[in-house]
Amino acid sequence: MTQARLICIFTSLLISASAWSQGFLKWEADTVPMFRGVAVSFDLAGATQLQLSDYGQLEGAVRVNLHDQYFPTLEIGLGKASHENDEVTGISYHTSAPYFRLGCDVNLLKKKHTGNRIFAGFRYAYTHYKIDLDRQNFPDPVWQWDTGFGVKDEPCYQHWAEVLLGIDAKVAGPLHMGWSVRYRKRLAHDDGKPEKTWYVPGYGIQESTRLGYTFNLTIDI
Amino acid sequence: MNEEYKQWIGLRKIWMMLCAAFFILHSSFFISCSSINCPVQNTVSTHFVICDADGNETTLSDTLWVWTKRSDDTDTLLLNRLIGKSDFSLPISYSHPEDMLVFFKGDINGTFTLDTLWLKKDDIPHFESVDCPAHFFHQLTGTRYTRNGIDSITIIDPRVDYDPSKTHLHIYFAAH
Repeated sequence: MTQARLICIFTSLLISASAWSQGFLKWEADTVPMFRGVAVSFDLAGATQLQLSDYGQLEGAVRVNLHDQYFPTLEIGLGKASHENDEVTGISYHTSAPYFRLGCDVNLLKKKHTGNRIFAGFRYAYTHYKIDLDRQNFPDPVWQWDTGFGVKDEPCYQHWAEVLLGIDAKVAGPLHMGWSVRYRKRLAHDDGKPEKTWYVPGYGIQESTRLGYTFNLTIDI
Repeated sequence: MNEEYKQWIGLRKIWMMLCAAFFILHSSFFISCSSINCPVQNTVSTHFVICDADGNETTLSDTLWVWTKRSDDTDTLLLNRLIGKSDFSLPISYSHPEDMLVFFKGDINGTFTLDTLWLKKDDIPHFESVDCPAHFFHQLTGTRYTRNGIDSITIIDPRVDYDPSKTHLHIYFAAH
């Protein structure tokens, strides 16, 4: 699936959500208290990604519920990549580093207290990570000298922003299930000596923009 | 069972189906898809422009060969019978601190000159992605050369990378 197709899906969902969300920013005047509790969640998409590919992340989040309308959220994760001796290029790449995202979601539904939500949100995110990059010795194509390639513990960082759209469904009791699609935009970065990196913890494969997603299991506590 | 409760149960099923559909979509995406975005232009070479005494680009009227010596002391030809051109590109070694290039130039009268250019450089490992071949960029730091047929060589742009439009060196051949 290309990134263009993902953008189409994202746009369709955004349009659908807009249609469902008349007056979403209006504070609902009722007797429901302002503070509705805290929820913790775990991202299954990142963990699945880590199992099925060479990179991924283990990520949890803490979410405060304000009147079922606003959800200040802190997401913390550990991003990992381990690509060993690529069969074509012979390059190995390793990184493992924490990251965080801080932001807020807004419930777009008109009836906000049903337990189900369509939400839009934003995040600011940051990671500081070190990369190990190695290419086994290979002969220079003209001169035939053996040539090494690589860096060890090269420090890098990246700031980025995300806008997201998602749904959250009440499954049973305090358990929720939901997903979010995220458009990520790199704000600032330092990629160290190699001038580029590959996997950035919490962001994904290095590009100036990316689409990402999470699939969350959430428990109200 | 009242109407509102039935509606809520129906809605919850839809939500859960949406969630499940997304999870399946996500899993199939990782099993089936990958994309590789390596630069199309990925040749790193030094670009020489031939100049006359006034510093203007000029066409080579003689014939030029360039070769170098490999790690096993055998020769390899880098440029064969260049004539009627005003510029040429030569490969640059990945990680050797100084490349030695031998210029052999012959004119129509059968006069030949032999020169050696030593090109000093810093080598910078360049990484695009694990899917893209490893390359080196270079920073030219100095030249030294013999002056049989070459008058002078000047570094114009020391950064040697994927950009094929750059001129890295001006070479001035001695007048006959």
